[in-house]
Amino acid sequence: MKQILKGAGIFALAMAAAGTAAANKADDTLNVAFSKELENVDSYYNSAREGVILQRSIWDGLVYRDPYTGEYQGNLATDWQWVDDKTLEFNLRQGVTFHNGEPFDADDVVATVNWVADEKNGVKTQRNVNWMESAEKIDQFKVRIHLKAPFPAAIEYLAGPVSIYPNEYYAEAGPTGMGLNPVGTGPYKVVSVEPGKHFVLEKYENYHKDSPKGQANIGRLDIRTIPDFNTQAAELFSGGLDWIWQVPPDQAESLTAMGGFTVANESTMRIGYLQFDAAGRSGEDNPFTKKLVRQAISHAIDREAIVQSMLQGKSRVVNSACFPSQFGCEQDVKTYDYDPEKAKQLLAEAGYPNGLEIDFYAYRDRSYAEAMLGFLEAVGIKSNFKLLQYSALRELNMKGEVPMSFQTWGSYSINDVSAIVSQYFKLGSLDSAQDKQVKEWLDVADSSVDSEERKEYYSKALKKIAEEAYWLPLFSYNSNYVFSQDLEYAPTTDAIPRFFQMSWK
Amino acid sequence: MANTTETMNTVAPKVEPEVLSSPTPRQILLTKILGHKGLMFGAIVLLTIFLMALFAPLLAPYDPYHQDLMHRMIPPVWDAKGSWENILGTDHLGRDYLSRLLYGARISLAIGAIAALISGIIGTSMGVAAGYFGGRVDACVTFLINVRLAMPVVLVALAVVALFGGSLQVVITVLGLLLWDRFAVVMRSATLQLRSMEYVTAAKAIGCSTKRILFSEIMPNIANSLIVIVTLEMAHAILLEAALSFLGLGVQPPTPSWGLMVSEGKQMLLFQPWMIAIPGVALFILVLAINLLGDGLRDVSAPENRN
Repeated sequence: MKQILKGAGIFALAMAAAGTAAANKADDTLNVAFSKELENVDSYYNSAREGVILQRSIWDGLVYRDPYTGEYQGNLATDWQWVDDKTLEFNLRQGVTFHNGEPFDADDVVATVNWVADEKNGVKTQRNVNWMESAEKIDQFKVRIHLKAPFPAAIEYLAGPVSIYPNEYYAEAGPTGMGLNPVGTGPYKVVSVEPGKHFVLEKYENYHKDSPKGQANIGRLDIRTIPDFNTQAAELFSGGLDWIWQVPPDQAESLTAMGGFTVANESTMRIGYLQFDAAGRSGEDNPFTKKLVRQAISHAIDREAIVQSMLQGKSRVVNSACFPSQFGCEQDVKTYDYDPEKAKQLLAEAGYPNGLEIDFYAYRDRSYAEAMLGFLEAVGIKSNFKLLQYSALRELNMKGEVPMSFQTWGSYSINDVSAIVSQYFKLGSLDSAQDKQVKEWLDVADSSVDSEERKEYYSKALKKIAEEAYWLPLFSYNSNYVFSQDLEYAPTTDAIPRFFQMSWK
Repeated sequence: MANTTETMNTVAPKVEPEVLSSPTPRQILLTKILGHKGLMFGAIVLLTIFLMALFAPLLAPYDPYHQDLMHRMIPPVWDAKGSWENILGTDHLGRDYLSRLLYGARISLAIGAIAALISGIIGTSMGVAAGYFGGRVDACVTFLINVRLAMPVVLVALAVVALFGGSLQVVITVLGLLLWDRFAVVMRSATLQLRSMEYVTAAKAIGCSTKRILFSEIMPNIANSLIVIVTLEMAHAILLEAALSFLGLGVQPPTPSWGLMVSEGKQMLLFQPWMIAIPGVALFILVLAINLLGDGLRDVSAPENRN
């Protein structure tokens, strides 16, 4: 360790000597690194986590969910009520202005909702908006949103991905203009955008006083894209960065041992799972069509060991196909403990006494996938490992050509089980199980406004998914945040860093 | 080699005709080989690596595929936290690094040798044919060489591997089919020179078949440069395999490959630098040894140095 410290120290000195302008508490600028490129800041036209982060700082929704208490509070709306199963009525906040000076009123809400709800406009993640039919202006500060069908999770979505855009500006700028020169009502306004590379945000001085988000504390945010962790760490040492996240567990451990920075760990809503081609879309004779094979694999992988020694932090093994805090995430489902002997026995029963050979696809976290390869090999399953880009794997998956893959899903941080189960088990092109009964149950649960009934039907669906081992839910992810000791910040479980909640000590 | 010895026989006595006990050409060659430091160093290192790869199952202390998640990233023995149980430490899945390194040598050597063999056969036959027959054959081969030279090797290899999926066989085939250009170019010009030599003309005059001329007159005389290119291309193939594996498109895990090990260690560069350094150094030594050997062979066998 001493050697490493010395090495790191020398490295840091060299970096500092090279003349990296270190801006931080002294000039009220928070330097942040993203590891992935964000192509379009317009939050409706990207599906990246980085986009969600910017969205929460630049724009506001009608509703805000306090990430610490889980309570819904009015943001651009002051209050709301269900008129009937399919109609929500909002009273809007008065005196709010957009960053460009345009005043906020019902027209903005109506224009935004009608634009995004129209499938033709191609909002990237349709599930976020396609439950809305249209919006209707009642008067200048009162609107109604009409739903296509009863949708109990509406408020959760309105507090999350649905942000309100300025109607006049958006009509003129469109998604491209909005992406290059974003205008919202949020606590931070955008100073400059270099797509994929560099974003500068400044505190919005006229942010509405009663916002539940509160006023921003830090004057300026300087966000750069730095894909490689080692480069990020080097800049952190030299003072060129004040805040990084998604730090790999092993490195976070080393940074903690080093001292000098705050290392915080928080679980996220993202879960990892193995998806099996139970429907036999990748071939009739596919071994994964056999329940016993799927169960054997479920018994073969020591998820506890992977969590403890690789993911570490606040990660947990999950048994149900959802994140435990999500509404309706039934925990009382069939579990598969680590038992290689049983796995071998199940394989033999399924007609593979000498093991079998499979194709195993993955797109991220190669080391976790490799650990799973090792466990499978130990019970006689030889895998041809194929690591693809996310988009390539998704496409193959949609065509039904993937027999088994290691996938993850973050539910867009929506605290409702519909964001994951209903996304993947309703016979869509990404549904590898194609179970009609599960779909029927999910349909009932998705459209019911009675929360007990919803729970009951989600529970039925999740129990069957576990019993049939359509998926093997693996573990929940965690994120490590490493930041300057001058910074006051508490991460949230939804893995959305909110810059307006950070402050200098 | 028969031909070389013959030529030497005629040359050697001329140099020191008075000395009766002059060394035979074979002895001269041997002295030169033994006296060439680079050549000896390269040969010894390469032989050592070859033997280690060959006897990996006997030498490796553990199964290179056996993972132990509870003992991940143990540093090598020279580190304060290291131990003799895992001399070179363990990787991110708790697999013994030394064992993986030894088995990885097999992959690197196999890829280098087979890829060089395939490309050697393709390139040499094309080059010799072009040089010997000339005319249309030459024009055709020259065109193919130009086409091949216009293709960026890494890019084509990446595309092909991405298309067919990465596996040892695919990587070897792709590299074998891509690296023949240097063979073809050098063999063509060497043959072109030899074609007009007196002994070739003589062989033609006494009615030797084309096959006999090619295999008995031409081939032995281009063998020297062939060996040099084989070593160069072998090193080239080994590096390319490492690059492809590093990019995740070459040999697929859990197969131990040095390139893959470098790629797996990349993330830990800052805190566990030995994870990337060990396979990196191994690659460096192997490629250096092969190149030194090739260089030495050229020095020793080049005609102007014969005396």
